[in-house]
Order: sequence, then C-alpha cells, then structure tokens
Amino acid sequence: MDENIRYISRMDRDYPEKLKNIPDPPAGIYVKGRLPDDKKKSVAIVGARNCSQYGKSIAEYFASSLAAAGVQIISGLARGIDGAAQSAAVKAGGSTFGVLGCGVNVVYPKCNADIYKETLKTGGIISEVSNDEPPLKAHFPLRNRIIVGLCDILLVIEARERSGTGITVRNALEQGKDVFAVPGRLTDSLSAGCNRLIAQGAGIALNPETVLLALSCNDDKEPVICPSCKRKYDSREIGYEKITLVGTEKVVYSLLDLYPKSLDEILMNSDLTLSETLEALFKLMMKGAVSECAKNHYVRKI
Amino acid sequence: MFSSVKTMSLLGLSASVVTVEADISDGLPVFDMVGYLANEVKEARERVRTALKNSGLSLPAKRITVNLSPGDIKKSGTSFDLAVALALLASLEIIPAEGLEKSMVFGELSLTGQVRPVPGILPMVIEAGRYGIKNCIVPFDNAAEGSVVEGVNVTGVKTLNEAIGYMKGELLCPQGKKENNVCETNANEKADVDFSDVNGQETVKRAMEIAAAGMHNILIIGPPGSGKTMLAKRLPTILPSLSIQECMEITKIYSISGKLEKGQGLIRKRPFVNPHHTVTAQALAGGGSIPRPGECSLAHKGVLFLDELPEFSGNTLEILRQPMEDREVHISRTQGNFTFPSDFLLCAAMNPCKCGYYPDLNKCTCSASDVKKYLSKISGPLLDRIDICAEASRIKYSELKRCDKAEDSETIRERVKKAAMIQNERYAGTGIRFNSELSASDLEKYCVLGKKEEELMKNAYDMLSLSARVYHRILKVARTIADLEGSDRINVSHLSEAIAFKSIDRRYWHG
Repeated sequence: MDENIRYISRMDRDYPEKLKNIPDPPAGIYVKGRLPDDKKKSVAIVGARNCSQYGKSIAEYFASSLAAAGVQIISGLARGIDGAAQSAAVKAGGSTFGVLGCGVNVVYPKCNADIYKETLKTGGIISEVSNDEPPLKAHFPLRNRIIVGLCDILLVIEARERSGTGITVRNALEQGKDVFAVPGRLTDSLSAGCNRLIAQGAGIALNPETVLLALSCNDDKEPVICPSCKRKYDSREIGYEKITLVGTEKVVYSLLDLYPKSLDEILMNSDLTLSETLEALFKLMMKGAVSECAKNHYVRKI
Repeated sequence: MFSSVKTMSLLGLSASVVTVEADISDGLPVFDMVGYLANEVKEARERVRTALKNSGLSLPAKRITVNLSPGDIKKSGTSFDLAVALALLASLEIIPAEGLEKSMVFGELSLTGQVRPVPGILPMVIEAGRYGIKNCIVPFDNAAEGSVVEGVNVTGVKTLNEAIGYMKGELLCPQGKKENNVCETNANEKADVDFSDVNGQETVKRAMEIAAAGMHNILIIGPPGSGKTMLAKRLPTILPSLSIQECMEITKIYSISGKLEKGQGLIRKRPFVNPHHTVTAQALAGGGSIPRPGECSLAHKGVLFLDELPEFSGNTLEILRQPMEDREVHISRTQGNFTFPSDFLLCAAMNPCKCGYYPDLNKCTCSASDVKKYLSKISGPLLDRIDICAEASRIKYSELKRCDKAEDSETIRERVKKAAMIQNERYAGTGIRFNSELSASDLEKYCVLGKKEEELMKNAYDMLSLSARVYHRILKVARTIADLEGSDRINVSHLSEAIAFKSIDRRYWHG
C-alpha cells in the first residue's frame, strides 16, 4: 500500500468525530493526504457537473471567501461546481478535501487531475472503497453521505430540479445538517433545484458572510469575518482589483452578461463592426474581464 | 474483308487508343469478339447485330471476327458499340473505309439503332486531339461536351443510320457548336443561390469570406436549423472565378463519372458536393475495381461540404487527410495506379453537442461528458487541417424579417478576388497559391509581426494556452484578413479577428 494512504477504521482514534454521528457511518475510510480537522468548521460545496460559467464563478467566489476565513471546503472532486470550488479554495490558501466515489488512487474524472493534485497539497482525498476501485454508479450516493457527514453546512450552488444533488440534500436532512442554497433566476433550469430548496426552507446564501454567521451561531465567540466575505457581488470589480476599460471595451463589456451571449447577439446590439468588436473582446479577455465559454460565446467573468 | 476503326478506352482520367478490327470471311456463321473484354463489351455483339437489323441492314451468314487491340488492356464500358458497328459496315463495304481512318468513333447503341450517350467523352476527345485525330463521331447528347476541345471536329449523331449517312458523305450532321473558349474573367455561370438570401449570420458570412479568400478549410458550429447548410451552399458563389483550364479539369471528372447533363458543355460553375454522412470511405475517395472518382474529386476546385461532421464514420474522415494534403487521390488497383485531382475547400458543419443547444444550458440536455464525447468523434489530425471555425447562432425573428437586403455574393466575391490577386503577386514563383498553403518556415517570411502585434500574440499564447500549431494557423488566417483589407502588415485587429475564428481545441471546449 502507498505510504501516503491510510486506512482508518471506526475504532481508530483518528476517525473523524463528525462521521461517527451519522446514521450509517462507514466501517472505515481510506485517506490519501490529511483528514479534515475536527476542530475546524467545514462547508460542503456541491452542485451540477454541467454547470454554467456563472455557477462556476459563484462557486469560486464562495469557496475562496470561506477558505480565506479558515473554513475547510469538502466536495466530490467532480466536474463543474465541485472542482471549481475546490481549486478556488486551494488558490485562496485554504484546505479542501475531496470525497471520491472510486478508490483514492483513481483520478476521476480525468480532466480534474490538476485539482486532484492541488487538493493533496493542503488537504486530502477520502474514499470508502478500496484504493483502485473504479468509479461505479452505486458508489456515488454512498460518497454523498460522507461528504455531508464531514461538513457542518451543505451549500448548493447550482442544481437542476431532479439531480444527484437532491440525494446529497436528503442525506443532509437525515443527518440534521443545515442546507444553504444560492438563489437563481426562475427561468434557469440550473437554478430550479436551488430555488426549490429555498422554498422548502433551506437557508439563502446571499454571500459568504451569511454562511459564516450560520456556522458560528452555536459558538460563544464572534466569527472572524474577513473583508472578502463581505464583498458585495459586483461584476465590475474583477477579482479583487478594479480593471480599467477604455473606449470600445466599455461598449462591448456593457453588452455582455453573466450568461453566455453569442457574437451575433453582441453585434446586433451595437454599431461596432465585427473586427472592432472582436478586437475589444480579445482585449477584455486578456484583461481577464471576459471569457469565451464556448465557440464565439462570451460571458462576463466575476 | 478486313477494316478497322479507332476509338478510345478510358482508364481513370486518361484514355488510350483502341483499334477495333473487323474481319468477315467465309466459314460457319459466327460472330466472335476478342481482345480482353469486360462483360458489357462482349454484349456489344448482340446490341450491334440487332441495331443493324433494325436500321435496315443485316449481317451476312459468314464468319465475323472483331478484335479490340491492343489485346493486353482490359476494355470496359459501352462506348465501343458504334465503332464495332461501323467497322463491320466498312468490312461489308457499305461505308467507305478511307473516311474512317482519320476519325474516332464513340457511342453506345440501343437495339433500335439509336446512339446513346456515354461517359468520358471529354477526356477521350482531348486524347484523340493529342493523337492527331481531327474528326470525332460522338453521340448527339455528348456533342456539346466534346466540342469544347480545340482543334477537333466533333460530330454528334442520333442514330446509326445518321452515322452511316455521315460516313458516306450523304448527310451533314450538325456539328457540336463551338463554345467560346476564351478565358473570361466572368466565366462563372450565374448561380441560382446568393448570399443575399441569408439574413443575419454576419459572423459566419465573414468567416466564409476569409475562408474563400485564403482557401482555408472551415468548420461551422451551430444549433439545428440555424442555416449552416444554407450558408455552406452559397460558399462556391464567392470563390474566385474558374479559369478555362480549371473548367476543363472539372468537366473531365464529371464526364468520366457520367454526371454531365444531356447536352452540357463545359462546367463553368464551381461544384458543391454534399455527401450524406453514411458515405463510405471508397465513395468519398473513389473506388471500384476500375476506380471512379469519389466525392472529393467531384468537389475538385469547389466545395466539399460535410454536414453533421461527427456522424461520419471515423475511417471515412481519415481518408480525407491525404487528398487534403496532396490535392490528389491516389488509388492502386490491379489495373494500375490511378490519380484523380481533388483540390477542394472543405466546409464542415456540426452541432455543438448531441442535442444541439449547448451552450444554452436551459435547453441543452447533454451532460458535460456527452458534450465532450460528441466533439471527440472528430480526430485531431482532421481538426488540424481546419483553419477557421465559426459559430452560427440561432437566428432571431427580427433578423429573419429584416427588410434591407444582405450583401450579395458578387460584392463579396470582388473582395475575395482582390485578396487572391494580392496572394498571387506575393507568392509568384514559389508554388504557393493561397495563404492556407504556407508552411511554418514560410510564416516567418510572409507573416512578419510588429512589436505591438508580437506582444499581443505572446499574451494570447499564454492566456489561451495555444499550441504551436494553432498559433501558426492564427497567423495564416490573420494574413488572409490583412490581404482582404489590402494591408501589407498584419495588425492587432487582424490578429484578434483571427484568434476569434481559431479552430476549436478539444481540451478547452468545456470551460
């Protein structure tokens, strides 16, 4: 067995306290890297694999702010929301833990190999199944219960009405964990699941501060809220610094949205020529204000 | 008595002279045909005999031997019928033998004595001219096609009797009218489609203009019903006009494939070939025991449009790699090696995902891996040969109903022509014709960047994690955009436009 991988049974001293308290705790878990610190707060960030660029940005926003405040981010290392949240947490200098539906040696999905490596730097990879087990369908609902088991709050970023995230939420309710959801537009099918959760009584995640306050409501001392958690969601502020836009860039940027717009749509709504528009779009991309999410579809970056 | 008539046998795009020898001598009444004949040539015996009978002539009860020489090349096709009939008639001294020596005869006979059109008249008449023949007798329906050739008199005949009358000098058959073969700049026939038919889709139109100007292969991505096919059909209308040489090449290919319409002369329109996605590799490249040109040769000097690119089988698409590189298809068979020209502009269209609505996540029902899987059906090497990629979005009602007419093909073509001329001058004597043919070393010579542009490309290279290959393609396309503008130097706006049209890179398809 790889030296970095440990098997921790329920009898073990290191077995996470939080996992012991769930209805059907795993008999043991395989861990590559570290285990989550029981003394620290943890938030699980989950959502759709096939998420929008907007969802990705929101996941990064919450994950980086929470991680900067010292919260551990738990997720499933999947495509979309999961991966985005975990890599943002690492970038913010926090620790993040990936719970897999396959063995800890198996990188699945392959496109997340980078995130897999990053996660190991500050956190760990956890799985209930043995090291080289392939990702089987049946493993995933079981994995979801561990994700929920390890966290204090479950945060849902983007989810369709009937989706895998639904199972995770059900687990959270069984285990008595708080669920927060990010609200979305009524017409977005990717936000339908989140809006439904809110209707059913989930917390509304307006910003990372809301989540932080909820995390510490049972504590005696005040939570440490860093400035980035209070930051209002303002897309003109890109990253943490202001970017200055000039001339045609302003025009083109004002036509863009957090939802993908095709080049034709942009052209139709402005008097600019194709080459002017493309030049402006390219400069905006270089400045990091805009990204091309699919061929000739552009979105604002947050 | 013995007599002989000359005709041609087709082999791929080339033709070789075949002499039909006929001898009628005493003996048991037999009609024998020899000379390494395919089945359809052997059957000429029955067609000729019946056609002669129905034309009021009968064969004597003698020993008839017909030989097609040289005896070592396989003769196939039905173009020998008329030559066999005339050779027999000369042996019977019904027609004079002298006239026959200076002529070549092509045509299929029906049982009633009608002369039917045959494929391959143009290459055969060209070869006849080269052989020194001044006179050709061809089926009436092929007369226009044959008379394209300079220096050869082509006579079209409708029936066997007409041919006999002509040989006897009794009947003057209408000669195929000589077409004006002067190389005109506007040799293109007026197309029945035009870019002004399409409202909106300015992005794709611009991408197509660039593709046409630099002969870049292009891929259009868009949801179903956004007009990808409609746009692609109009691509040939903005390509530069054909030279007479090019018209000949196209007509030759269509002639041997039997795809020329009745009475059609030179093809003056760039072909648009649109094979269904179930097409086999052989049908695309050319095949058969005696190979015939495939779809990619039929698209020679025109556009090969592959709709629903991911639906084509992998093998079929791989076949395209060699013709796209060499602009020729080489096929080897027991009969020999065949080469068909296939210098086409590849235009491919595809949906962004299986359901067709990605990146509209409200409509798209595909999972992230579905989208990836769909795209990965196109092999990397093929994607490497596509310079431009544009996105056709769903068209809005307001655009659909716009009153002002969109730009017409003629205006766009003028710009394309100008850009083609600039390229012609720049690459004179180098063997390069279009920007798309530039190699990496040529790029350093012809695509010199200024300081500002250099910096932009460096940023783009890092930010967009471009590969070296994509980087080169961006330069080529930027060169074409600069040529369209008549600018010597490649500047920032040319580069940013080229980057926007850069081909998709599978790694970055999702996010």
